[in-house]
Amino acid sequence: MIGKTVREPGCQTGVETGMKYQKTEMKRDSGERRSGSDPLGPNSEIGRKLRQYYADLISEEIPDRFNQLLSELEGKEQPQSAVKED
Amino acid sequence: MSPSPSFRNGLLAAVPVLRAFAVSLAKNADRADDLVQETLVKAWDKQDSFQPGTNLKAWLFTILRNEFYSQMRKRKREVEDTDGTMTAQLSVHPSQEGSTDLTDFRKALELLPEDQREAIILVGASGFSYEEAAEICGCAVGTIKSRVSRARARLQEILGIEGESDFGPGSSTTHITNVA
Repeated sequence: MIGKTVREPGCQTGVETGMKYQKTEMKRDSGERRSGSDPLGPNSEIGRKLRQYYADLISEEIPDRFNQLLSELEGKEQPQSAVKED
Repeated sequence: MSPSPSFRNGLLAAVPVLRAFAVSLAKNADRADDLVQETLVKAWDKQDSFQPGTNLKAWLFTILRNEFYSQMRKRKREVEDTDGTMTAQLSVHPSQEGSTDLTDFRKALELLPEDQREAIILVGASGFSYEEAAEICGCAVGTIKSRVSRARARLQEILGIEGESDFGPGSSTTHITNVA
């Protein structure tokens, strides 16, 4: 199990902004791995490209199928608890 | 017990990062979306095993990764040579075609072996610590470190990037060259 209470990079912002992610990804890099010795840190070209590549993916519009899927899953739960009475 | 709405919101909020990770693994947008879908269904089914307050994103990444590898094993049994069919579908995001730099980088990334690619994505792009990445991949921290370092060296080689120190933990030369 992932037991630690850690920051959840990129996970929280979506709650406020709904489906569309803004490009907030970069922010978290101001975190603990900022030291100059970080081989993928701000001084690293590979590191920068990686984050650019990823931020680009994250900023894509999310197909509605995922929202629908979660609604369906949620819908399935309710009848189940009602049937239990039976 | 009815599912809490915050769990649903948590899943929904994680979709963009899950998709990004899935595309990085699967190298194919359609397959990536199927992976995300499967991940959401699995996560929903076993939400009781998630401890609120712990790292939901890491938990979901673990599920997605397991799903990816189990699908891969299945596919390998079905078609021995997936390589040819996969490369034909490589161009994932037409919207990105304008940016040569990014396209080159994506292609370079796709040349990496799976284990190295996922390691450098988890640590270098998704913001996980080496420890968290090790937990997600079910391997030792040292293994993740060496995969990341090999991935980085390989990317530098493919992209012809020089001036970043390839060896040793102290890239003490980087800031010196940057100052100069």
